[in-house]
Amino acid sequence: MNYSSCSLVELSIFPGLKHNNMYKYAKTIGILAISILSFASCSGPGEIHEYSVNDLEFTLEGPLFAGPNGGQEAINISIADALGDAYVEGMRISDARLKSATVFPNDSLGFANVNAFVVAFASDNEDVSMQEAAVKNPLEEGATVANLEVSSDADLGEIMADGKVYVVLDADLAEDYWDGNRDFKLNFTLELTIK
Amino acid sequence: MLRKLTFLAVSAVIAFGTLSFDLPQKSEDPGDRLIGIWEPSNGRSRIKIDRIGNKYYGRVVWLIEPNDADGNPRTDINNPNPDLRNVPLRGFRMCKDFVYQGNDEWSEGTLYDPNNGSTYNGTIKMRDENTLDMRGYIGVEAIGRTDVWKRLKMPSRKK
Repeated sequence: MNYSSCSLVELSIFPGLKHNNMYKYAKTIGILAISILSFASCSGPGEIHEYSVNDLEFTLEGPLFAGPNGGQEAINISIADALGDAYVEGMRISDARLKSATVFPNDSLGFANVNAFVVAFASDNEDVSMQEAAVKNPLEEGATVANLEVSSDADLGEIMADGKVYVVLDADLAEDYWDGNRDFKLNFTLELTIK
Repeated sequence: MLRKLTFLAVSAVIAFGTLSFDLPQKSEDPGDRLIGIWEPSNGRSRIKIDRIGNKYYGRVVWLIEPNDADGNPRTDINNPNPDLRNVPLRGFRMCKDFVYQGNDEWSEGTLYDPNNGSTYNGTIKMRDENTLDMRGYIGVEAIGRTDVWKRLKMPSRKK
């Protein structure tokens, strides 16, 4: 063995690889790569399912000050429940987008002195950041229902994949409100891509 | 009769003991000391920090200039997501996802600068109950900027 061939072997990524075996290794790696690509393409882009949550109740606890006041509710997103018999163990949410979000008043005050609403989603997962996903600003005077404008760019997939999700509703109030709470209800629909 | 009374008394004691154990305990999470209203060093805004799940979030609750040049409430016009540029700046969560790490420090969060729509990594160190060092950085924590925030007292009811 001369010095140059020894050097080639020692610096190789695959120890023991020699010139006369290189074609065999390359062929094996090629077959493996094609298999992996085929598997990935067979698994497809995933199926899109709608997932709706209705009458989620929020209480903004007083005293409330003019400006933003937030309420939060924890929910569990279960794809097993969403898919029913079609659910197969190991399925997961790969992407999630908010399709619609509507806020209703849930007390006698209605939307009095409410300027705006924002809906956001958060998770306990330290690697996943809270996402704002819908806004209504300004809220029309005399409105009895608030249909929020949703952001199709808000990627909620990682948040929803965790299962436990915090839904946050922020209401921007025009005036202080010292006597009691303000109550609202939220309906929303998600488009979940499930693989 | 005496045996019955004894049985009832013992049952009552056991029941009371069980109920006592079931009473909710007051939360004493040391991370919750971050909750409150804070003022950055420039005094141009006030940030209320709350807890959602096991993380802490801070949103703007007061701005020295709440309206734009046209007199309309300012919105997050520099948000990289155009769909969210209509979100009111008053109420915007500019501190997100901070997790208490112990030793008076919260990290893993982000700080958002509405002036340019940039998001930075962030750490929070509590110097004392009323003083925070808020550090924003990109990539390496050593290269960043620290701002000192002071705690504000909650306003009392107007007369």
